[in-house]
Amino acid sequence: MKTLFLKDMRYRQARVVLTALGITVLISLILLLGGIMNGMRIQARQYVESTGADVWISAEGSGGAFIGFSMVVEEYMAFLNSEPGLAPDSASPLVFAQARPTVGGKSTKAIVVGYKLGQLGGPKQAIAGEGRMFTPSNFEDYRPEDPVPYEVVIDEKMGLEIGEQITLGNEKVKVVGKAESLMFVLDTPLLFMDVRIAQKLLLGNTPHVNMMIAKTDKNEQPVQIASDLDALETIEARTLKQTLTDIIAYYVDEPMKAVQFLRVMLWLAAGILVGMITYVTMLEKTQEIGVLKAIGASNNYVMGLLLKQVILISAVGVILGLVLSYVFAAAAPIFVAIHFVESIIVACISFVVCCGSGYLAARKAITVDPMIAFRGEI
Amino acid sequence: MATIVEGVGLTKRFGTGDATVVAVDAVDIRIEESELVMLMGDSGCGKTTLISLLGCILTPDDGELRIDDELIHTVSEDLSIIRREKIGFVFQLFHLLPYLTALENVMVAMDIASTKTDEAESRATELLTQVGLIDRLHHRPAQLSGGEKQRVSFARALANRPKIIFADEPTANLDSRQSDNLMSLIQELRREYQTTIAIVTHHEGLKENADRVIQMKDGRIVTA
Repeated sequence: MKTLFLKDMRYRQARVVLTALGITVLISLILLLGGIMNGMRIQARQYVESTGADVWISAEGSGGAFIGFSMVVEEYMAFLNSEPGLAPDSASPLVFAQARPTVGGKSTKAIVVGYKLGQLGGPKQAIAGEGRMFTPSNFEDYRPEDPVPYEVVIDEKMGLEIGEQITLGNEKVKVVGKAESLMFVLDTPLLFMDVRIAQKLLLGNTPHVNMMIAKTDKNEQPVQIASDLDALETIEARTLKQTLTDIIAYYVDEPMKAVQFLRVMLWLAAGILVGMITYVTMLEKTQEIGVLKAIGASNNYVMGLLLKQVILISAVGVILGLVLSYVFAAAAPIFVAIHFVESIIVACISFVVCCGSGYLAARKAITVDPMIAFRGEI
Repeated sequence: MATIVEGVGLTKRFGTGDATVVAVDAVDIRIEESELVMLMGDSGCGKTTLISLLGCILTPDDGELRIDDELIHTVSEDLSIIRREKIGFVFQLFHLLPYLTALENVMVAMDIASTKTDEAESRATELLTQVGLIDRLHHRPAQLSGGEKQRVSFARALANRPKIIFADEPTANLDSRQSDNLMSLIQELRREYQTTIAIVTHHEGLKENADRVIQMKDGRIVTA
């Protein structure tokens, strides 16, 4: 009777379905939380990598280009452009600041990226048919009273049309073009504008930028160049790799420690759920197990029956959880990136945790004394 | 006649220290092949404990047990093997699995003994036909009367062709008509399968069906 365990499960179907659903919800939550963190990591990387810069320079003591408060005086541009090891004239000023622009009357979250058009730091051209780039200022000969139009190139996924206006501080900025999507962490859109406009709107029109970025000469090692620059007293320099490590740690890993903890807790909850329900079911079946043992069932036979149920419930719960997490990820209002291999590993670990706790409960159940068959009702 | 079950000096105690109760006290017992034995006595005299010892469900604290001429090493042996190969049990409250049909309840005993499914189904059908339940094969316990459930229990007990069946108060939950019918069935099954049967009962009226009545008192056999 290979289907004995199935018949028992059908008899207790409400409990079986609820247990499997409980696992499904927990597994999909574990995967979704992981997917949200992966999404944040991808978004944290994509802007930094898109700039093409090899070296990131920030103010001394800032802890890195995107980490602490960094204000670098513009004069460093000339120094960097003549620094041996860096590609000539590759150094570019960059304003990278969180802002709350008003879009269509609603305050929204965004990151303003101010850079020199045509240099490192932002797109060189708008998406074909989606407007144009902003009008550049003359960075080197710029005077604050010079009239530079307030123009912005927005992320294509921001949902704004060309010609619409964004309010930043007290100023209105006109959308002139759309760039390929480079959303920052948690779907924060990037607003690309001339570095001088960004200085005016966000840095009090002072001759400072948040950071400078540059390319190294082809034959140079970025690590060595960054190390040499870092030795200077007034600036910090990082390679692309170091910057990515910093940004992921700062924007994703550190704030998400609680989420990581929650994921472990959810695993534990899934295990406890299966163990607890298996154990409660065993208590309910004590008499039945006693009868099976009295009529000759070995511990292995009883264990086999119980484990088949645990394995089936866990497998169904985990597989449904896996499928559901992809459905939820597609419908989520933020970028969720569930890695297939990672999700399989998570599913396997979850399956082992559920089966393990079910096994512990089943092991307890098989110690039932067959004498119990002489008392009470099934 | 060969001896099917033999217990010598069987003793079972429960509890420790001053609270120790001697449920079975140095009992010597023999049950011969094809015999129908009734174990009788007041409640708490040790009848159920004795058949649990003889049926390898409990291990004795002292004494020796032989089943079908084999000494049972109650401590070191896997008693579940002896239970499924040599012993059948019938319980007062039937103890059929509620999610299985009558047929499946009989088959499960053979499944435990690793009998092939088609062979088990054929034998279960034969046994249920024998106990008069041919038209109840696919009924669940909840759809059967008390007498019918007890018949299924007997069919299950016979499934693995045991040397002996121990029945604990099999008529306690049946009315007198059902009890009489069951006793007739037990006699018929005994004749058909030459099975030895030991019945624990309070029911004085059943005595007349027995080959031998064993009376117990305070954990000891007083008449055998």
